[in-house]
Amino acid sequence: MAKKFLSVLLMLILLIAVAGCEKDKKTSGNAGGSGDSKEKVTFTYFNAASPGKDGNTNETTIGKIFEDQTGVNFKTEYLVGDINTKIGTMIASGKYPDVLVPDIAIDKVLDAGAFIDLTELIEEHGPNLKKLYGPHWDQMKDKDGKINFLPFAAKHGYIKDPNITQGAFWIQRGILKEAGYPKIKTLDEYFALIEDYQKKHPEVNGASTIGFTALTYDWRFFALSNVPNHLAGYPNDGEVIVDMKTHKTDVYADNDITKRYMKKLNELNNKGLFDKESFVANYDEYLAKLASGRVLGFFDYGWQVQQSLDNLKAAGNDDLRYMPLPITFDGQKDQYIDPPAFINNRGVGITVSAKDPVRIIKYFDNMAKEENQKLMFWGIKDETYSVDDKGKFFQTQEQYAKTSDEDYRDKSGLNTFEYYWPMGDMLYSDGNAWVPGKQPEVAQVAYTDGDKAILEAYGAKVFSDLFADPDDRPWYPTWSAVIEQGSDAQIFGQRKTDLTKVYFPKLVLAKPGDFDKVWDEYIKEFNTLDVKALEDLMDKVVEDRIKAAPKK
Amino acid sequence: MQIGSKAAVKEVINPSVSISTKTKKSFFQRMMSQKALLAMSLPFLVWLVIFKYIPLWGWSIAFQDFKPARSLLDQEWIGLEHFKFLFTDDNFWRVLRNTIGMSTINLVLGFVTAIGLALLINEIRHIRFKKSVQTISYLPHFISWVVAASIVSYSLSLENGIVNIVLVNLGIIDEPILWLGKEKWFWVINGLTEVWKNVGWNTIIYLAAITMIDPEQYEAADIDGASRFQRIKHITLPSLQPTIIILLIMNLGYILESGFEAQYLLGNPMNLAYSENLDIYVLKYGMSMGNFSLATAAGIFKTVVSFIFLFTANHIAKRFGQPRLF
Repeated sequence: MAKKFLSVLLMLILLIAVAGCEKDKKTSGNAGGSGDSKEKVTFTYFNAASPGKDGNTNETTIGKIFEDQTGVNFKTEYLVGDINTKIGTMIASGKYPDVLVPDIAIDKVLDAGAFIDLTELIEEHGPNLKKLYGPHWDQMKDKDGKINFLPFAAKHGYIKDPNITQGAFWIQRGILKEAGYPKIKTLDEYFALIEDYQKKHPEVNGASTIGFTALTYDWRFFALSNVPNHLAGYPNDGEVIVDMKTHKTDVYADNDITKRYMKKLNELNNKGLFDKESFVANYDEYLAKLASGRVLGFFDYGWQVQQSLDNLKAAGNDDLRYMPLPITFDGQKDQYIDPPAFINNRGVGITVSAKDPVRIIKYFDNMAKEENQKLMFWGIKDETYSVDDKGKFFQTQEQYAKTSDEDYRDKSGLNTFEYYWPMGDMLYSDGNAWVPGKQPEVAQVAYTDGDKAILEAYGAKVFSDLFADPDDRPWYPTWSAVIEQGSDAQIFGQRKTDLTKVYFPKLVLAKPGDFDKVWDEYIKEFNTLDVKALEDLMDKVVEDRIKAAPKK
Repeated sequence: MQIGSKAAVKEVINPSVSISTKTKKSFFQRMMSQKALLAMSLPFLVWLVIFKYIPLWGWSIAFQDFKPARSLLDQEWIGLEHFKFLFTDDNFWRVLRNTIGMSTINLVLGFVTAIGLALLINEIRHIRFKKSVQTISYLPHFISWVVAASIVSYSLSLENGIVNIVLVNLGIIDEPILWLGKEKWFWVINGLTEVWKNVGWNTIIYLAAITMIDPEQYEAADIDGASRFQRIKHITLPSLQPTIIILLIMNLGYILESGFEAQYLLGNPMNLAYSENLDIYVLKYGMSMGNFSLATAAGIFKTVVSFIFLFTANHIAKRFGQPRLF
């Protein structure tokens, strides 16, 4: 009996061992070492930035073309679960995929020294990469002069995003329609419109209307704390305002602009216009509320509420959809639209585990050619886009529908190569937008009749026409600055967030008479924090970035 | 409530098992006669050493400015810096207060409700009814916290929350209350959530202990004309006493473990001052800042406190001649 058991055990162990080896063979690319060969090889690619379908790039139409050009295939894997756990495990084991997109965990990966220096590889094997990233070369260098990874989106020229994916005060279109499409600019005008409308329409679809709501959940709290900065006419520089002349940074959480906005929300709350659940609702509840059509206005970033906006669009009642407006305190010039920024703390890198970095960099280099970038973002000519006689790219309704179809996007590789690879942004040398979403001709195809009507009422072609052009801010965005793990500046950031999370609800919900008392209490606590740690760091970041900026 | 290991459970259910034999034999003889038992416990000993003792080496991280992927020799040793950071941070004392507050509430509520429910279930004569009550009360234990927290937050919401609807209709409150926004209520809400989720599960061990009670005692009490309440008071509860005390000692060791998911998922800016506990603090200032040293320092602090609690409770039990852990 015992013998029998043992032999079964032995067999099992053998089986597992064999299976294990088998798997290893399949996943790891064979070590060629050469670099010129087009011999087929498979590398691994891990993307921690976005969910997606695991697969092989050569199973997609575009990926197949790239394989034919270079012989390289990538086995792609996407993040499931917690990013810090996943990346932490990689670091602890020292085993990385060949190519890694670590997203927010990039500081940890760099700390661990997991990326190889790409400088020489690019100089030697990447003429097209050099051309693509050339203007940003200095910005890509780490403190010690190394280029550890390729940031996404090297900027060439400038084109404004036709739709508002960034911050804005949103208002229900029905309100604007009823008021005869007024041109409003100031915060007071905005809230006055909402107040009037709510008096006249206390209910929508049988539920009470909500004047104004805010998103405060977890790390998304910045959707509330960033607002004063925007109202004062600055772009989203995170926790600081950067003076345009002196280039000094200032944490504005304790400034008058924050007090002014809190006071405004406090008044709103006392008039019963502010959504009391703002401070307890989670992200899903917030999205559901927006999609219900009960909310008259809110501030948020377009990318953060896209889901609700899409749902309202699909529901088809145009009056309940939202219009983004560039509201400021006193009608000063707004800076809601992001200045063209080169985000240098997100990117894709080759890890120390990669066996043949030369083949990988050659693949990236091949990708960096303009014709291949067009393939990645626009797809296949005459199938997913067309070119008019002036050389302008456009999409027909069918083509637009096709490129919006997830199934097609998966099969063609439009999803796989959408982002998270070496890439450019803004304009190709022929004047077309780098990505279809930024081409006005494409944006207009997606507009409904309602969109067109409201745009016409405001004399605009696309939504971003209502917003001011961004000023030149080479340091933008300061929130992308690398802050050392566990440093004083980082601890200040966390403590400041904790403090504002406790006090902002108190300020907004205080009785009008108590507001100043609560504000003084808040300032007293705020002053115990080490503000200088962050401001000094940011001053330095701004200075360095101005120096590294591409010269005009 | 948490239970150490399966071996401990057996001990708890019937503490008398561990009384050693009184016959005088040499140590070696005794070992030989119990070799089967020893062999069986060996794997657990190995497990204990590998998973509980060897990792203690990692405590050294707390005294370094630890950076992953740097060899031990290159690490920078900074002494008690991280402990100093913890003990001088107001936030740390606040989260410590919350942790102890919430786990005390959880402990008391957990014990009272679990024992109460076990007694009630034991008294049910109708077998099918008994089984269904048991099953239903276990169910929430198997729901993941993410789902459970959504259920709780939805039940407590301002407009459609069942709690507000019921209370308003009963006339107990005049208008709906934003429960999760009342920071001082958070401990209570958390305690009740914990009870709802785990009460059924926690009764299992008491029900098991009750089945060990000799039925003759009940028969004798019956003949003497004892009522149901008298039987509970004079037979069931005293027989459960050793189990209760052992579990209490063990759970006092977990006094700084007030849970993580519930507080993390139900916490929001309005109740932050009372909902944040030690684990969330460690996550924020330790893990997510890549400051593993600080996280380890907090872990050491927790272990030391647990030790003190465990030994004190055990010592008190000993003084009063009650059954105890060791």
